Amino acid sequence: MQNTIASSLMGKTRAIASLTSNTLADVFSKETHRFTITGLSRSGKSMLFTSLITLLKSRSEEGLACLPLLRYLPPSRVLDMHIEPIEGYKPFPHLKNIESLEAGDWPEATEEAYGFKLVVRLKQTASIKRHLMPHSDVVFEFIDYPGEWITDIPMLNKTYAHWSDSAWAQLSSGPQQYYAHAWKQVVNAFDFEQTPTPELIQQLVSHYRDYLIKAKANGISLLQPGSFLLESSDFNWQDFGFTPLPSSITSDVSHLWYRAFEKHYSAFQKDWLTPLKHSIFKETDKQIILVDLFEGLNHSRQHLYQLKETLSHLADTFVYGQSGWFSRTVLRKQQIGKVAFVATKSDLIPENQQQNLLSLLTQVTEGARARFNDKPIQFEHFLVSAMQVTDEGANKDAIRYTNNDGQYVESTFEPLPKTLKEMEEGSHFPVPSVNVPADFKARILAGKGIDRLLQFLLGKGE
Amino acid sequence: MSGKSSENAPSRPEYKTKVTTQTLNIAQPETKLPKQITEDVWELETASTGVSLGSATLGLGVLSVLGFFVFDAYTTLTASMAQHPIGTSVVGAMLAGFVGCFSFLSFREWRGYKQVNTAMHDAKQLRDMLANKGANLSPSKVSSILNKHGKRFSKDSYAAHCFERYSQQRQSDMTSAELLGLYEDTVLTPVQEKAQKVLNKESVTAGSLAFISPNNLIQTLAVVWISFRTIRRMAKVYGLRPGTAGNWKLLKVLAQNIAAQGIFDLATDEVANQIGGSLSAKFMENSAEAIAAGALNARLGRALIKLLK
Repeated sequence: MQNTIASSLMGKTRAIASLTSNTLADVFSKETHRFTITGLSRSGKSMLFTSLITLLKSRSEEGLACLPLLRYLPPSRVLDMHIEPIEGYKPFPHLKNIESLEAGDWPEATEEAYGFKLVVRLKQTASIKRHLMPHSDVVFEFIDYPGEWITDIPMLNKTYAHWSDSAWAQLSSGPQQYYAHAWKQVVNAFDFEQTPTPELIQQLVSHYRDYLIKAKANGISLLQPGSFLLESSDFNWQDFGFTPLPSSITSDVSHLWYRAFEKHYSAFQKDWLTPLKHSIFKETDKQIILVDLFEGLNHSRQHLYQLKETLSHLADTFVYGQSGWFSRTVLRKQQIGKVAFVATKSDLIPENQQQNLLSLLTQVTEGARARFNDKPIQFEHFLVSAMQVTDEGANKDAIRYTNNDGQYVESTFEPLPKTLKEMEEGSHFPVPSVNVPADFKARILAGKGIDRLLQFLLGKGE
Repeated sequence: MSGKSSENAPSRPEYKTKVTTQTLNIAQPETKLPKQITEDVWELETASTGVSLGSATLGLGVLSVLGFFVFDAYTTLTASMAQHPIGTSVVGAMLAGFVGCFSFLSFREWRGYKQVNTAMHDAKQLRDMLANKGANLSPSKVSSILNKHGKRFSKDSYAAHCFERYSQQRQSDMTSAELLGLYEDTVLTPVQEKAQKVLNKESVTAGSLAFISPNNLIQTLAVVWISFRTIRRMAKVYGLRPGTAGNWKLLKVLAQNIAAQGIFDLATDEVANQIGGSLSAKFMENSAEAIAAGALNARLGRALIKLLK
């Protein structure tokens, strides 16, 4: 801690020692906002990042009128904007994602962590300050990472036996029970008296992974370990894999299979989860938590309840910190953490039903919000469409879009439930499968809610 | 659920869909890119196309006077109107045109005067709404009030240009407070800033004219002219035409300004006489008058801003 403080002070002193009006501006007029965007897999993180960069670039470089509610960065004050890498992270593949959209494909799901800084240079308006410090920089730091990782972080606080028992209970109940049957049959037929060889472990892990993949494809959100779902995962699950086992085995600490999986589980915690938590989920004052309600609406009420449970479990992963030591102690800046719960892809329902979607979002986040009742945290719920892919329908309950077969169709929605309880048992709202529109850039710029979200996170509560 | 898996496998429920989809026989409409904010080009004086109504009135007036002269000369010469019906009708038509245009101009002055009062009422309503962030008002109501306000801006005015930008950026899901915030950012604030810029420029011009004016009469005329020009130009920024006669409050400020300028002239003359008729005394006198003229013009502009804000 002492070293950190000393090096922070040394850094500031060194920068001040070489003052010119520009460097003076760099030292004192730099405002850094670290955004951690958290979201389960398929919640639309990569598309949101792609849209965000496109929107800010179009606004500052091309002067296009977008993000009208972002009063924190008035277009008349923006001098320029550029992207810088963050040390230790691969640069975000913005251009690759744009190329994918141009080719008619949605950006690929994130399979590794990406980081980038967006530096917006603003001209100074105050008359005296203008001569001393001609500009000020607002730096946004964004980290994108696979949503599968976040579901694994709560495993850090559990022993193997604890995790195995809860995972086994989960896959035996709720909507996942429909997809776990094959896996359970494998376990029932498996001879656990055999010595756990690497081949046998791989065989069992492979069957468990098949369940995870099948459940994910059917809208199940609470899947652990999510890292096993990624082919290119940095954790070697092929050699150090594990699965939940029946309690008859996990209750016997001397059982060979228990000991083998317990060892692998410890390696998973120590070599994978601990460094992951420290590198990505570190202290931040602004959290965006993306929630894809359509995964629930697409399937059933049970799926929505499960999403609520998942978010509640993940709430401990979210880190709500304060500003850095220098600004907190020297500049006396005490910041309140801000958390935004965001339902993405809001354009996939008619506009007159968006209030119901917002109300549903508020209910789904209840458990997660309860975790920061005693913390200085300001929170808000938002609906966001990173790209306005749908058009108005013939009536207020309808939307129009081009589907995956290239046909322009109109979908008419029955009223969306306002609460989980109102969601009719045995019914669902199939999510529209939308093609990437040819005019995707204009539709990104026509997207709704991102400006409102940024203004909440950056603004001073106005 | 696969039938092969087991007899004990829980059967996966079939869900009833709440969405019905039909194929359309039309192509998806293309979304246009938003306009560029940087296209903030608005000229105070727009190039007029063709003959303006003012010129036509003047022209017709001059023609009528000339016509009467000609007609008078003609009747004098012929001494018989009945014998020359064509000449009489031409001159009569020109006179009718002049009277008609003059009447229209007078009507426009009256309408401009009324418009200022309506704008003042609107401005108060907007200020109230901004103060309580549109509380108790639905977004559609706020939108309708703002539209009504925006529609009053005269074509080609800076305010109308800003209102167009507001209309482009307005989105259907915006709340009352967000609509008001957007209106403030895209219309009210830029218009205010532009008005201030125009006023500063006009005040400098007023000062310059006062500085170079050789005598008090020319100086007073210059101040009157620049004052009317300031009112006209600023009204053009706000998109409201107060009329040449304008508002009584403005006229009062204008009269006060002219009186103040007159008193100031007398005072500076007296000081210059006391010092002596040297070139430096004349320079000092003119400088002081220039500053006063600029300040008085700024006062007039501020009164106008206060009225229309």
